[in-house]
Amino acid sequence: MPARIAAIALNTFREAIRNRVLYLLLVFAVAMISCAQVLSLMTVGSEEKIIKDFGLASIDIFGVLTSVFIGIGLVSREIERRTVYTLLAKPLHRFEFILGKYAGLVLTLFVNTSVMTLWFFLILALKGMFDLRLAIAVLLLFFQFLLITALAVLFSCLSTPILSGVLTLALYVVGHLLWSFDLLQAKLTSVTGRVACRALYYLLPNLGNFDVKGDVVHGLPVGAGTVGFAALYLAFYGAAVLLLACAVFQGRELQ
Amino acid sequence: MAVLELSGISKSYRTHLSLRRYWILRDLSLAIQPGEIFGFIGTNGAGKTTTIKLALGLLFPDTGSVRLFGEDARRVELRRRIGFLPENPYLYDYLTGGEFLDFHARLFGYSAPERRRRVADLLERVGLKNRGDRQLRLYSKGMLQRIGLAQALINDPELVILDEPMSGLDPIGRREVRDIILDLKARGRTVFFSTHILSDTEMICDRVGILVRGSLKAVGRIDDLVTRDVRFWEVALGGVRDAALPCGLVVSRRDDQVLVRVESQGDLRRLIQSLNGHGTTLISVSPGRQSLEDLFLREVRSADGTAGVKAAAAAGKD
Amino acid sequence: MSPARRPGGARRVALMAIACLLLAMAVQGRIEARAAASAGSAPLLYLPSGRYLHFAALGFDALLADTIYLWSIQYYGNYQIADRYLYLEQIYGQVIAELDPRYLDPYLTGALIMTTEARRPEMALRLLDKGIEHNPQVWILPFEAGFICYDDLRDYQRAAAYFEAALKVPGVPPLVRRFYAEMFNRAGDKRTSLKEWDEIYRTAGDDYVRGVAWNHVHDLTIAVDLADLRAALDLYRARQGKAPRRLQDLAEAGAIGKVPQDPEGRDYLYDPRSGEISYHALPVVAR
Repeated sequence: MPARIAAIALNTFREAIRNRVLYLLLVFAVAMISCAQVLSLMTVGSEEKIIKDFGLASIDIFGVLTSVFIGIGLVSREIERRTVYTLLAKPLHRFEFILGKYAGLVLTLFVNTSVMTLWFFLILALKGMFDLRLAIAVLLLFFQFLLITALAVLFSCLSTPILSGVLTLALYVVGHLLWSFDLLQAKLTSVTGRVACRALYYLLPNLGNFDVKGDVVHGLPVGAGTVGFAALYLAFYGAAVLLLACAVFQGRELQ
Repeated sequence: MAVLELSGISKSYRTHLSLRRYWILRDLSLAIQPGEIFGFIGTNGAGKTTTIKLALGLLFPDTGSVRLFGEDARRVELRRRIGFLPENPYLYDYLTGGEFLDFHARLFGYSAPERRRRVADLLERVGLKNRGDRQLRLYSKGMLQRIGLAQALINDPELVILDEPMSGLDPIGRREVRDIILDLKARGRTVFFSTHILSDTEMICDRVGILVRGSLKAVGRIDDLVTRDVRFWEVALGGVRDAALPCGLVVSRRDDQVLVRVESQGDLRRLIQSLNGHGTTLISVSPGRQSLEDLFLREVRSADGTAGVKAAAAAGKD
Repeated sequence: MSPARRPGGARRVALMAIACLLLAMAVQGRIEARAAASAGSAPLLYLPSGRYLHFAALGFDALLADTIYLWSIQYYGNYQIADRYLYLEQIYGQVIAELDPRYLDPYLTGALIMTTEARRPEMALRLLDKGIEHNPQVWILPFEAGFICYDDLRDYQRAAAYFEAALKVPGVPPLVRRFYAEMFNRAGDKRTSLKEWDEIYRTAGDDYVRGVAWNHVHDLTIAVDLADLRAALDLYRARQGKAPRRLQDLAEAGAIGKVPQDPEGRDYLYDPRSGEISYHALPVVAR
């Protein structure tokens, strides 16, 4: 079974690295990380902060774009192009197909994030600003990519690439604005409204758990607990989303 | 024991907006026997692809069951023993031919040397020996169909299911696919393929099934379905001038050559006797038998009137 | 024979998915609990200056400013975060103001939070200065700044400067002028206040304002007259060595140009024995 998942993953990875979009995104990311130096000339004092902020933000944005752009077509494109028919006519379980697609994209993201991070660290090292704690921020960003990718795969099982792209990006934005649900709840007077607010708050992916960029840049401590709980959250939420994707795909008729 | 057995399969779908049910297949039962080449004939939209998808578990039937090698077809392990080529596959155009076959071989869990052996063997068998390191985006349509076939054969399957394997191919491509199918039969494999190209079917199939609007109208050996008695004669005559022929229907006429169709042996005799002394010469007499095409058209016509005939005519064109 | 149905595994997998989701929610609950335990220690804020946010806003600067503004109101209204004012000036002065410099509410609200909640009036003035710089045609900003100088700092000179700036804006409501006039009164400069109120009285557009202004002019006139008379009385005593018998003596001795009458046209009351001067309607010296 793992061999078949690996085969699908390898093929997905191959497709991604032979896709021009990936390189375009990488070039943009590297350019933006480099740009931070120019921007930092415009400020007084907090040059280091801006370079770090910009670098982390670039890795964040381009990592998310990679997972969305590649993730949304993962399953739907295989159905649309009918390539999935030949695969599922082989002794391959449908859940293996989903997990393989996911694993392939995770591998792609790992390579992608590594390239961006290495470039970022290289620039910092040259400027003498390198701080190993930034790696924690990048690790948590990678966790975030893993969760977004799972969501993209789920949506890709359900609908067209464009719609799933919109949905995934929407969840990314909502996932970062969940704190507002908390505040909204405090303002609501009706009990049902408050309960609905609370339920939504817990149901939607809380991407704030993976965001320690600010803390790291400001030199605030990021405990092992924060990383541990983020990992745990990713494990459970990610598993839930992937299992749901498998269930959806299992019951899906491939017209 | 049947290799593939469909019993009482019905399949319908609903459009998103209306509650109306559209039946794609109604109570379809079909059994494919080991070692045969079975041609599944039908017009576009008759339900051939749906039947194949149901057999492979890509779609789920409303009623009825599918059995492969005597077992419930939903068992994924059974797919070790089958090969499948979908209609007009796009394939992964970023892979080379070799990578493409290797990828599909991996799904069977073969070891690396085993995969290399099978890939090389199949590339040779489908005539792409020297093209294995080219990306599929550079393949012609015929080459794609052949690499697709190779993918279906990577596990040396007992049953090969091909959906419209000849469509869109030029005569040479069709010939190549036909040879591969015949080669499979020679190796003792079972082939089930759908098509709307009747000439190929008639030539290579052991048995055929005719699907019209979701219902199986006829199944059997072509010889059983199509009466092989002589139904009429076509007589080619030369040097025909204005003189009227005693009987028969003029099918075509070019200069002084005429092709006449007569329905009975008595008419044939009278026609030939009438030739004496008119300077007319007999070029040929050929007995006419019913073809698969005649049968097919008759089935379509009887099933749904003129609309079906138009569809069949359209299908016959390509 | 049972009809071939959709694979039954799907339901089981879906149940597993729900179980995982519940676990994830439990983890989220733990994360919340941890965050609550350490609330106030970590500022949850991470925003670069508006000048850089501008690039990231993709043209939605104003929308972003709105969002941050709304967030800031909620955030600063949360009394559980002890050090929530740490980035007060960055949020309003740099992020919002630079994203959308013509957005007035954040200047006013920011200044309000800075003065009344954070007790940092100078910070509020810096924020308002920034707003004034970007919005010279808006009177409320210098007015608000003047109010802070007047009410919190009790720096009437700076307050006057801000009020005067507000008064120069075309279309400024008359309220500002009244506020300006009254400020001098509170500051103890009744003479200027009288001058301003008199101006308001003479230019008043309606009876209500005229009535209000008259009341001020009335009271201020009395206060100014009494102050003048008392000064003259002191001068007279110093020169003559005794108190005058009547107020008219002050003018005759040159201690005052002319003995004023009260707004009602009556003489002020003078008691030569105690040297008390008063407005006759009141038993003791007014104000």
